[in-house]
Amino acid sequence: MHTLEQQYPENYFSLLGLPISFDIDKNLLIKNYHEIQKSIHPDNFANAGDRERRLSVQKAAQINDALNSLKNPLPRAIYLLSLFAIELSENKHVAPEFLMEQMELREALSQVNDKADPFAELDVLINDVNTRIKHSISQLSRLFECLLATESESKQDNIQQEQLELITVEVVKMQYLNRLQEECLNKEEDLAKQY
Amino acid sequence: MALLQISEPGQTTAPHQHKLAVGIDLGTTNSLVASLKSGLAETLADTQGQHLLPSVVQFQAKDEIGYKTIVGQQAQDNAANDPLNTISSVKRYMGRGLEDIKKHSIYHFVSEEGSAVPRIRTVAGDVSAVEVSAEILKTLKQRAIESLGGELIGAVITVPAYFDDAQRQATKDAAKFAGLPVLRLINEPTAAAVAYGLDSGSEGIHVVYDLGGGTFDISILKLTKGVFEVLSTAGDSALGGDDLDHTIVDWMLAKTGIIEPDASLLRVLLDKARAAKEALTEQDTTLIQIHLDEKLHSQSDKQNSWQYELSREQFEQLIQPLIKKTLVPCRRALRDAHISVDEIQDVVLVGGSTRVPLVRQIVGDFFATQPLADIDPDKVVAIGAARQADVLAGNKSDEDMLLLDVTPLSLGLETMGGLAEKVIHRNTTIPVARAQDFTTFKDGQTAMAIHVVQGERELISDCRSLARFELRGIPPMVAGAARIRVTFQIDADGLLSVSAKEETSGVQSSIQVKPSYGLSDGEIETMLKDSFSHAQDDLDARKLREEQVEAKRVVEALLAALEEDGENLLSAQEQHTIQQAIDELSEIAEGSKQRAIKLKIEEVDKITAEFAQRRMDASINKALAGQRVNDLHT
Repeated sequence: MHTLEQQYPENYFSLLGLPISFDIDKNLLIKNYHEIQKSIHPDNFANAGDRERRLSVQKAAQINDALNSLKNPLPRAIYLLSLFAIELSENKHVAPEFLMEQMELREALSQVNDKADPFAELDVLINDVNTRIKHSISQLSRLFECLLATESESKQDNIQQEQLELITVEVVKMQYLNRLQEECLNKEEDLAKQY
Repeated sequence: MALLQISEPGQTTAPHQHKLAVGIDLGTTNSLVASLKSGLAETLADTQGQHLLPSVVQFQAKDEIGYKTIVGQQAQDNAANDPLNTISSVKRYMGRGLEDIKKHSIYHFVSEEGSAVPRIRTVAGDVSAVEVSAEILKTLKQRAIESLGGELIGAVITVPAYFDDAQRQATKDAAKFAGLPVLRLINEPTAAAVAYGLDSGSEGIHVVYDLGGGTFDISILKLTKGVFEVLSTAGDSALGGDDLDHTIVDWMLAKTGIIEPDASLLRVLLDKARAAKEALTEQDTTLIQIHLDEKLHSQSDKQNSWQYELSREQFEQLIQPLIKKTLVPCRRALRDAHISVDEIQDVVLVGGSTRVPLVRQIVGDFFATQPLADIDPDKVVAIGAARQADVLAGNKSDEDMLLLDVTPLSLGLETMGGLAEKVIHRNTTIPVARAQDFTTFKDGQTAMAIHVVQGERELISDCRSLARFELRGIPPMVAGAARIRVTFQIDADGLLSVSAKEETSGVQSSIQVKPSYGLSDGEIETMLKDSFSHAQDDLDARKLREEQVEAKRVVEALLAALEEDGENLLSAQEQHTIQQAIDELSEIAEGSKQRAIKLKIEEVDKITAEFAQRRMDASINKALAGQRVNDLHT
């Protein structure tokens, strides 16, 4: 059995000099990212030949992509799942109760305008969504720790499959929550424009 | 140990002479050019000692010599007498469609058959915003050449951070028309941050609040050890000092009872409004006097002169809604950067409109800090751009400075039901590349239309249409079998490019780009040919010169690369091959065959591909080397 590192020597974690894990040292991530960009960013090649310029744009884009995949929890979780060959497809994984809840939250969002103090109402909603997102992150942290711990030891396929399933559900939930958060912010902007 | 470097006879040693590069702030109201003079970035003055060039271009009728334009102060002075041929605030029209620009415009816009770009009808013919901007750039270029005493290798031109792809492309096209190589387009707030950051060397979170003549930007940056990292940017690309002027004009119209002012009168009122706005920066009240001459008298049959006093308080009441509007993007930028107000080290004011006391007050209240305006808010952007131009030109300074900027708007694709699917999210660090897979939905389908939009909303109709691509030459297959990978790339200038490939057959699909509000390559070519200041000979000569410059650049870059890494990364044979190619290119570039030079450059490019790749990998390894050594100890 190979570890993930052996399987994917060119993964984004190693590209940025980090071990594969959900919890990361963000300072180290940023420090390594800056060092690499200092050497390959297109600004260093403004005077170089066409080929080198194009190459540096590609490399810099790849490093940026690596950073974006790892910097925040949701994309990091999605990237980790992709190393286990899991592609996300929505609807399939999520419990009906969760979807019901989402619909209610969206409904509440659409009715914010009619309230006496729409800003206060929206703040309550945003805080609610943020709390849910935080909860998801701590769940993911725990689940990934288990998964990656068993991964490095002898692999028990069925246990691993179970953990992956749990993680996938949590990630899909978080996708819903992030989108809802985005809609809340759009709403806030609309309200601010109206006053 | 330092080894002496000895170059071969007849070759230049590493080019140590200072290369002339400038920073240009192409503003809505005023434009500036700046450069580094003995280590200090400063704006360059014209022969009269003026630094600010009013962004105004007057087109004059053709005479036997050809078309003539007047740019700057003189054009501004002539504006009231020749309002329709004197174009100001042209930046507001860059990369815009007809319906975007009609309101508030006094010019006669026409749309041309087969072109997405509206033209302004002038006595010199129909001109696009790109060509008008090119006239301003030409003037600044000339000023720089005279002031610095030599040809420029290129310019860094600043654009509002919130400019979309079409607006950026239009700016780059304008530089092309002006014959000015663009080293980089950089965002105005980022340039301002560079100007401040390097002077104070302060680490931490900085906010740049940039209210210019026609655009508003807010950027939040983090400065760490010479790295300027933009965390988020937001804004409104159609909000600025111009709108304050229009608000005063509306007030004057209401007072005078004039209902439909013509272009000349509107021009006069706008000038009065601006003067009043500027006066109220220092004074508590200002007197606005309007005298209509005979020609304008028909506008009102009762009266031909008015006099009003405008107090700062009244003025502030008029403009407050507009200034408050800027706080919406401020909130969004804070949210996107995950930054709260108390983490902010300072707020920097940029743009002439930030001189308005109410702006300073509202910004200060919002960010709970006294905003900084130590560097002249009109000049700070050009100064920052000049510094970056110097770095890009390869005049390495001691500080190793790096700008990491972001794309201001999300990039999306139209999906079924008129919805936008985001491919690249706003505030993603550039350059960035994203691939998206598509498939066919009909049997035997060989083409596919893709609609690219920019914006944050879920509905396509609420986003800005950027371009429509047609993928052709897809091999006929059953529905859903084709796998077309479309790659979207945003480069370091913030410009989008697209490539497509059918994966199952490996066929590289041709791609047709129709920018929704841009000039097509064909149009640019034709316009360059017809251009009022370039005859055909001129164009050929210019193409040759540009190719020679490019050849020289390639040769110099390769010589530097060989000197640095040739021994380490290449075999003796490889070194020899590359050296030979360089020599051949140098020789051909001496000649006058543009096409031959172009082909040779391409050939050299192929020969050195592997070397370039090895160099890039080596630098990544080197960057992480310190880290890897540390790993060994743990």
